[in-house]
Amino acid sequence: MLHIRDLTAGYGAAPVLQGVNLHVDRGETVALLGPNGAGKSTLMAALTGTIRNRSGEVSFENHNLVFEASHAIVSRGVALVPEGRLVFPPFSVEDNLRLGAVRLKGRLQERYDFVYGLFPRLAERRRQAAGTLSGGEQQMLAIGRALMSNPRLLLLDEPFLGLAPKVVAEIRAALEKLRQTGLTLLMVEQKLDIALGFASRAYVLIKGRVALEEGTASLARRPDLRDLYFSLATAHNA
Amino acid sequence: MQDFLELAVSATASGCVYGLIALAYLLMIRPTGIINFAVGEWAMVAAFGGYVLLTQHELPYPLGMGIVLAFMLLVGWVTERIAVRPLVEKGAGVLAPILALLGVLVITREIISVSFPPDPLPVPFAVDIQYYKYFVIGITLAVFVAAWLFFEKTVWGRSFEAVALNRRAAALMGINLSRVTAFSFAGGAAVAGLGGLLVAPNISAHYLMGVPLAIQGFTALVIGGVGRVEGALLGGLLLAFAEQFTIRYAPIPGGFAQGVPLLFLMIFLIMRPTGLLKARA
Repeated sequence: MLHIRDLTAGYGAAPVLQGVNLHVDRGETVALLGPNGAGKSTLMAALTGTIRNRSGEVSFENHNLVFEASHAIVSRGVALVPEGRLVFPPFSVEDNLRLGAVRLKGRLQERYDFVYGLFPRLAERRRQAAGTLSGGEQQMLAIGRALMSNPRLLLLDEPFLGLAPKVVAEIRAALEKLRQTGLTLLMVEQKLDIALGFASRAYVLIKGRVALEEGTASLARRPDLRDLYFSLATAHNA
Repeated sequence: MQDFLELAVSATASGCVYGLIALAYLLMIRPTGIINFAVGEWAMVAAFGGYVLLTQHELPYPLGMGIVLAFMLLVGWVTERIAVRPLVEKGAGVLAPILALLGVLVITREIISVSFPPDPLPVPFAVDIQYYKYFVIGITLAVFVAAWLFFEKTVWGRSFEAVALNRRAAALMGINLSRVTAFSFAGGAAVAGLGGLLVAPNISAHYLMGVPLAIQGFTALVIGGVGRVEGALLGGLLLAFAEQFTIRYAPIPGGFAQGVPLLFLMIFLIMRPTGLLKARA
């Protein structure tokens, strides 16, 4: 479904991503791991067109997204739940969701029903300003908002960051349901236990390059798991 | 009392024009952060449009007004294409388009000054002169109600606000940032043009009329705050009342009264730079 070949991207003269290769098959859940500054969020930005300097190939359902603008990428069926959620604080929950559907070609009410069914708490608070929601509810809203465009590939950038364990479990359950509907997920996650328990395959990004690609089951058995990033970074430099 | 009421109506009408210019600034600042001082020249261009269509060609007022406003939409759209978008696409900050638009201001004024005689040119009143102030007030209120409804009640308006709140998040929703910018400039030019057309019968079309309007509109914007549409109208009204009541009642020479908007501008920039109305946070 998604094939990334030799993707280079960055903000200034020195690119953050230095030739990334990865692929995600339809219906798969793939985790993207790596230490801070490895380029995980930059990769998300490059995939969604919110970064200008990109080269290489991002083939999604046989369309190259590298030259497309962010709004066109949403139309193609790729949506991102960005790091830090980025909800629109003064707008109501419902207005936030409505904006997620600006590129929707199907029926709007079906999308509302789907998102409210997934997160009943959002339905209860549909008239409330997004800025007054708790962190967990804002994360639900950010996910729900991305789902409003009816994406076929959902990108998630650290969806559990800073959330209480109870909320993490709630959101995990929702993502599990999404996976059962056949939605393809690519998730940036720092916490190894969550990532390995949830995804079927994982990529480890070190200094803008893919340092490791492995099934999560065998990755979880690695003896150096605790020092994974350190050992990979050392191997990478050698 | 009679005198006071007449003054109040006349100040309200002037305030409406300032409010429209302020709204033009606001339409462009909200989604882009760009302060476009060429709004005064846009108002001037529309006033000359009124002179050509309504005075020279004697078109019926609604038709002439429609053509002028359609032309202004085009002017705003073209301006965005040539003076703003190329800079934004190259990743320039907001200062670059602001300076480019100052260039547009000078070019626009010089084109008008070489194309028309230097004397003030008459533009007809839309309705009988004694009712004209009410006409100005009515049109302005309609524009502000429409703008308010647009921003609060339509997905398009919400998209504009979303871009103002967070460009990146808005882009991730699938909102086309370039199109929002183009529309904000087209709308800004039309609203500024409406202000120029409405004020033209009182002050005549003249190639130097733009800069005072640009300053008064900017002052109204600073007073009202850029957070909300209503702020532009409130700022315009407060400024016009302060101006006209100073001229009428304060014991200072008339020439000094022209400094009132600048005085207000300075006071507000120092004391309350966010304006009277806060954006809903």
